[in-house]
Amino acid sequence: MKRSVGEILGRAGIRIPLILWSIAVLYPIFWMFLGSFKSNAEIYRNPWGFPESFSWTNFTEAWTNFNIDTSVFNSLFVTVLGAFLTLALAVPTAYAIERLKFRGSNFLFMLYVSAMMIPMVLGWIPLFFLLMDFNLLNNLVGLSIVYAVSQLPFTIFVLTSFMSTIPKSLEESAAIDGLSPYGVLLKVITPLSMSGIITVTIMNAIQFWNEYFMALIFLQSKDKYTLALAIDYISSEAEYTNAWGTLFASLVIAIVPVIILYAIFQQRISKGMTEGAIKG
Amino acid sequence: MVQSKKQKYTFLAFCLLPTFIMFAIFTLYPLFSGLYYSFFDWSGSSHVKEFIGFDNYIKLINDSIIPGTIIHDYFLVVTKVIGIMILAMFFAVALTQLKIKEAPFYRIVFFFPNIMSVVVIGILWTFIYNPSLGLVNSGLEYLGLDSWTRPWLGSEKWALPSLVLPSIWAGIGLFMLMLMGGIANVSKSYYEAAEIDGANEWQQFWKVTLPLVWPQIKISVLYIVITTLNGSFIIVQVMTGGGPNNATHVMGSYLYQQAFVQYNFGYGATIGVMILILSLITVLILQLLMRKEKVEY
Repeated sequence: MKRSVGEILGRAGIRIPLILWSIAVLYPIFWMFLGSFKSNAEIYRNPWGFPESFSWTNFTEAWTNFNIDTSVFNSLFVTVLGAFLTLALAVPTAYAIERLKFRGSNFLFMLYVSAMMIPMVLGWIPLFFLLMDFNLLNNLVGLSIVYAVSQLPFTIFVLTSFMSTIPKSLEESAAIDGLSPYGVLLKVITPLSMSGIITVTIMNAIQFWNEYFMALIFLQSKDKYTLALAIDYISSEAEYTNAWGTLFASLVIAIVPVIILYAIFQQRISKGMTEGAIKG
Repeated sequence: MVQSKKQKYTFLAFCLLPTFIMFAIFTLYPLFSGLYYSFFDWSGSSHVKEFIGFDNYIKLINDSIIPGTIIHDYFLVVTKVIGIMILAMFFAVALTQLKIKEAPFYRIVFFFPNIMSVVVIGILWTFIYNPSLGLVNSGLEYLGLDSWTRPWLGSEKWALPSLVLPSIWAGIGLFMLMLMGGIANVSKSYYEAAEIDGANEWQQFWKVTLPLVWPQIKISVLYIVITTLNGSFIIVQVMTGGGPNNATHVMGSYLYQQAFVQYNFGYGATIGVMILILSLITVLILQLLMRKEKVEY
């Protein structure tokens, strides 16, 4: 095929919106990094340009005077515990639904999957009092449990579809070798599903690290604040204190782990999310 | 496999019961008791609940703020569906049909906001809309359009439309990838056949691409609608808190305010029931509307 001049121009033209949108995505993020190195005075003078000098003051300020250190720890805690609990709850159920056909297995699967479409906001009011009764309100363990259960439907959904690709013969031969069903689950199925488990865990971890609203409702004291809450708090304070530099520094602290995970697992994350949405 | 029935059931219970009990306690029970609470007058702090029948629902119908919250939610649904689908479709076609070498770069960049925290997105965009320092007003001034500058999030008229752009910005990557997946599955031979028949690229898009990726379009629209109705309040809460003067309150943010700020837990639950019913009805209607059979050539 020969390309006409118009076609070549068209191809160049198509790049313009692509480049513009890339700038629209990258520039605010880039700018947030730049802002985290600027003093407040400089942010007012020159909000969108390069900093005059790079100083880490905002970071040390956020870390020591705005309790970001505690919040990073709290976020890490709920992320790790939440992701671990999700797996501990989801892997056995996904295996049972996918492989041990029992009466009601389809119904159970549908029940879990349909929970993905239900607006949970209605449930948050009773959940608030339930956690209070269990002494889990304003408690990081309580929040981790809530997080884990909230991601159960999605995790079970992804894991069952992943486990359906594992050949049955492997389990059967392991059982013939005398492995108990518990052994099959732990020593055969879990390692073979590792790729699916990793994908879904990264996605759950990002979800928990970023989560805001449940933390807002179920955590109350500043020493329990996760990063999202701490940033929201600094942001509302900044209207009076004008501590924008500190705000940007804490935004950067929140986003860097996500960028690192994305850099390493970019394909897993985008594939996992797309497939999760399509099959859901 | 040699194992007794009892062993089999014990193993099944081991796999299913702990998970189901947790799911029942932390998901099913709260949903159903939310329905139950909506019939009570209850301020939470005292554990005294007064059964008031449908009074909360009557209050809901007469609440002058409620119609606004519903309209705002559906405004966000419609604008997001249109904005995201047009842009995502354009980008998806551009990145798959035209051979662009740096396509993976765009794919990686466009998707990234999808995994950013709503708090980070909200604060970033609040600053972009900042009346004196923000990028939007500075840009307008730079272009000589000083009269267009306004306090975007502080204006009753412009605050809600201003929330659409961050939502589109944050959502587009996922739907672009979903559509790209659909386009990649369309066999090249259809396009070749269309080309032989003399169809130009625009006609190819309407006659080949669009019908064949209809399943992906349908899922994307449903997904945007569900996530907006169930989650639009998060960005509202971060960026405007429902203000100015309730101009951006959506159903979820109003529920939060009633229940967790003003401690009207019974009334909050009633708003929750409304959200549940409206989103189920909307999804049902959408599925009927878009029930176009998959096209096979």
